[in-house]
Amino acid sequence: MTRLLLSATVLFALVSLLGPLRAADPIATGAAEAPGGDRSFWSFQPIRAPLLPGVENVSWVSSPIDLFVLSGLEEKGLTPARPVGKGHLIRRASFDLLGLPPHPAEVSAFLRDESPAAYANLVDRLLSSPHYGERWARFWLDVARYGEDQAHLYAARLYTSGFRYRDWVVDAFNRDMPYDRFVKEQIAGDLLPGPGRDRRQMALGYFALGPAYFGVTDAKKAAAQQLDDRVDTLTRGFLGLTVSCARCHDHKYDPISMADYYALAGVFANTEYTEHPLVPKAVVDEYNAAKEEVAAEEKAIQETVAKASAESSADAKEALAARRARLEKLKEAVPPKYPVAHSVRDKAEIEKMRIYIRGDPHEEGEVAPRRFLAALEPRRFGGGSGRLELAEAIADKDNPLTARVIVNRIWRHHFGRGLVESPSNFGKLGDRPTHPALLDYLAGRLIGSGWSLKALHREILLSSTYTLSSDFDAENFEVDAENRFLWRMNRRRLEVEAWRDALLSVSGELDRSLGGPSAALDLVDNRRRTLYAHVSRHDLDGLLRMFDFPDPNITCAKRTVTTVPQQQLYVLNSEFMISRARRFAARLTSNQDSNELRIRRGFRLAFHRPASAREVELGLAFLDAPAMVEAPEKPLSRWEQYAQVLLGSNEFLYVD
Amino acid sequence: MSSLPLHTRRQALQRLGGGFGTLGLAGLLAQGRQGLRADSPSSPSLNPLAPKVSHFVPKAKRVIYLFMNGGPSQVDTFDPKPLLEKYSGKRPPGTDLKTERKTGGLLPSPFKFNRCGKSGIEVSEIFPHLSRHIDDICVIRSMHTSIPNHEPALLMMNSGEMQPTRPSMGSWLVYGLGSENQNLPGFVALCPGTPVFGPQLWSNSFLPGVYQGTHINQKTDPQKIIAHINNKYLSRAEHRTQLDLLTEMNRLHLAERRQDGELEARIQSFEMAFRMQFEAQEVFSVAGESARTLEMYGSSPFSRGCLIARRLAERGVRMTQVYYGDTQPWDDHTDILNHRNLAGDSDRPIAALLEDLKDRGLFDETLVLWGGEFGRTPVSEKAKGRDHNHHGFSVWMAGGGVKGGMTYGATDDFGFAAAEDKVHVHDLHATILHLMGLDHERLTYRYSGRDFRLTDVYGRVVKEIIA
Repeated sequence: MTRLLLSATVLFALVSLLGPLRAADPIATGAAEAPGGDRSFWSFQPIRAPLLPGVENVSWVSSPIDLFVLSGLEEKGLTPARPVGKGHLIRRASFDLLGLPPHPAEVSAFLRDESPAAYANLVDRLLSSPHYGERWARFWLDVARYGEDQAHLYAARLYTSGFRYRDWVVDAFNRDMPYDRFVKEQIAGDLLPGPGRDRRQMALGYFALGPAYFGVTDAKKAAAQQLDDRVDTLTRGFLGLTVSCARCHDHKYDPISMADYYALAGVFANTEYTEHPLVPKAVVDEYNAAKEEVAAEEKAIQETVAKASAESSADAKEALAARRARLEKLKEAVPPKYPVAHSVRDKAEIEKMRIYIRGDPHEEGEVAPRRFLAALEPRRFGGGSGRLELAEAIADKDNPLTARVIVNRIWRHHFGRGLVESPSNFGKLGDRPTHPALLDYLAGRLIGSGWSLKALHREILLSSTYTLSSDFDAENFEVDAENRFLWRMNRRRLEVEAWRDALLSVSGELDRSLGGPSAALDLVDNRRRTLYAHVSRHDLDGLLRMFDFPDPNITCAKRTVTTVPQQQLYVLNSEFMISRARRFAARLTSNQDSNELRIRRGFRLAFHRPASAREVELGLAFLDAPAMVEAPEKPLSRWEQYAQVLLGSNEFLYVD
Repeated sequence: MSSLPLHTRRQALQRLGGGFGTLGLAGLLAQGRQGLRADSPSSPSLNPLAPKVSHFVPKAKRVIYLFMNGGPSQVDTFDPKPLLEKYSGKRPPGTDLKTERKTGGLLPSPFKFNRCGKSGIEVSEIFPHLSRHIDDICVIRSMHTSIPNHEPALLMMNSGEMQPTRPSMGSWLVYGLGSENQNLPGFVALCPGTPVFGPQLWSNSFLPGVYQGTHINQKTDPQKIIAHINNKYLSRAEHRTQLDLLTEMNRLHLAERRQDGELEARIQSFEMAFRMQFEAQEVFSVAGESARTLEMYGSSPFSRGCLIARRLAERGVRMTQVYYGDTQPWDDHTDILNHRNLAGDSDRPIAALLEDLKDRGLFDETLVLWGGEFGRTPVSEKAKGRDHNHHGFSVWMAGGGVKGGMTYGATDDFGFAAAEDKVHVHDLHATILHLMGLDHERLTYRYSGRDFRLTDVYGRVVKEIIA
């Protein structure tokens, strides 16, 4: 994708003294040794089972996680916040695991259940919901830069069946597919033995759905860019390493050489895009035969027309008309296109990859044998493209990065902050872990549990750390304003998906059906979960873009969170919000209850807590005020205005 | 950017006026967690769009980029080549360069060139109005780019990279300098329709979303130009009452939580949104312009774009791009004579824009840039047309810190390839950033473990054209 830019100003200055960066670059020799980078760097060290630290406040601890967190807090003189109330806890856990708000009935059942296992039961129930996969798949799709088209329009390859990969990811989370398997199927699903090969073809969407760049005048360069995307998405996604930095020269900071980059690029250079039919061969043959017949008839007609002249006989014209009629019949007889999975496969002819000198595909250097990263396990790949061996090297339990990287991603989505705050960069220019021993503990637990992500969620959610309130505390704040040491839970804004889904859910309209083709998000009657929106690389939906959905052209480690007035204009004025407000108001006023009871119900639905006296008072005053004189185009009733306020409030958008 | 610790954030807010309540700008507080680099221009405020201090004293405060999408031909506009007549229909050595399509022999320009102004720079007769301003203009005749296809060349011109993986120049400028008007987007792309590749051309890519360009179709009703700007459901008074309730509830919510900049920011952001409903609509309407001004610009969609660009410049918008038209109007493959129509339509409004900026004292601090994504071949395509040409083409600049009445660089004898003092797109970008007070090597953004620049590892400031 690009060439490394030195981050240090000093280096910049130095290089500019020496002349242009390109000329100053050393040309890699292709040797397998790792370059200057530091192999003793923490993330390259084996994962070790850490010693459990001792703590003072033993009674606070309910999981080994808490020992690591509390020892850090005690060391800094920080005190953990009080535990969060049960009402907030169920809201937090529901949004975290399902991306959906709890139903008021679920909230009251949970509040009533005073058994010690109430919370554990809640966590288990949430983890077994099919909506869990929908929530967590989306996090992975950010990493996979999931998109269903290209950034360009001309002759662009479209992924109309891309949803099958999305659904495969949802299903993998729901079935708690072991994470090492999850890795392997996405890299080499076609090469793995055993039944279920069609499904594994879908998993390869991780690469197959990647950008296909245009290469009209310089096909080589476009192909090189595409290799860069594949290497980048592979290494940052699974390993937290920026191997693409070594495309033009050895990595300046991490032990990654140009030879490493081209060793991996060679795997993808010998892999090609394919549309794998998901039906028996006979069906494909039938379809192809019908298409061929149409093509043959079209050609015959063209030839006849080309030969025909003004003086052609009436008979000839009649014959032509008959052929055209026949063509129409043939076209009608073509069966609908069979379903496919966008997939990849090894090329028939495996070719050696050469280093591109300074990243220029027109200047080839030495052969770079396909192999894994030298700093980790430089075994050469033997068979075919090497994808299967690559998948195994990444999913290997002895790979120090794979488990740490996924554990950190999961942690980050639960706490709003990673143990490593650069989730796709565990190299020198990334952040250092705030709790290295905890990271290793969790990585070890993941591997020990047979790579079960659900077990990991469960362990995290059942810790005292997770159940901390987000309360402010001046003394703690003075020491650790950023909450790096987790003295409280971070308050988090809902992602656009969870926010839109919650709006539909609270207004009583959410279509909870699972899976299937994507649809444009701005269709008036699209009430499905936001996960099922069409994701365009060319023209991303306005709502998604406005609310910080990542650019699907590049792998995304973490989303930015911005607060801009355009978002608030959406809340105040969009058709979508107005429709939700009207429906929510209708839901609240569909009975004979007093306005006070309706307000109270509104609070339980929207915020999962009772309304305060002051809030009821405010609501009643608003609802009882006389109507304004001016009449706009499509007036909103007072109740509809009120419902819109509840839906647009900060409390609706943020989770404590 | 939230490398800024929270307590400093709070202190900064207090310094700026005793807390959040009085600080409208806080409404734009962005919690971008991937950040401004230490060596990026300093950010005195939490608001990512607040004006920032540039690296050095800028020559220009804002850019108006008149984008002739499709690729205007240099030998028919600003780069006269008399030898085309002599070798008409022939392909002398040096004219066998590869472009996108099959080309024939040299095709002389059907247009006459006139010496204009005191500088005597030759300009094609198809720009009678613009040529009166030639002494304010610097024509760069030695531009070249990397590829003769629209999409990658458009991306290159807008983002410095041929693939859709980088932020656009406008996004970089707003990231680096902020915006001088908090009620309007900092980067606006005007186009009557959409240029080829549309949103990618003003994409923020990996920069935070606040830096994305806002696409405005100036043919649209001004009320519909910014999404959701108009409330059809409530009178203004009722809307205010509703927002007051929302604010009150948000304040109660915040009071229980204390010290949360994000919650406060959203409260302020609602206020700004409310004001935008009335203020932002006004700027895109030209109803208040005088009859003389309207007459001066003319009434075509492009004229309207130029006039709105001036209105945006007056209000401190950092970068305004005015695309000439929908898709790629300057793409004259079949008959180069069509350039007369395109110039005929755009000549007057461009001249009017330059004059208007001068009248209002904005010219010296506004950098006006004219050009396409590439040029066209001096050899013919389909007898009378011209193919895309990335080997050489012309752009011009005027205003903010640019020497007027000069040409810079040259193409070969036939106007095919840049030959003297070549200026690549990266060099143009470096020069534009320089004029705006930014060092293109220091304007960086850390993303995915690397520091990215608009100019990647390239770029030379063309100092010779700077006043």
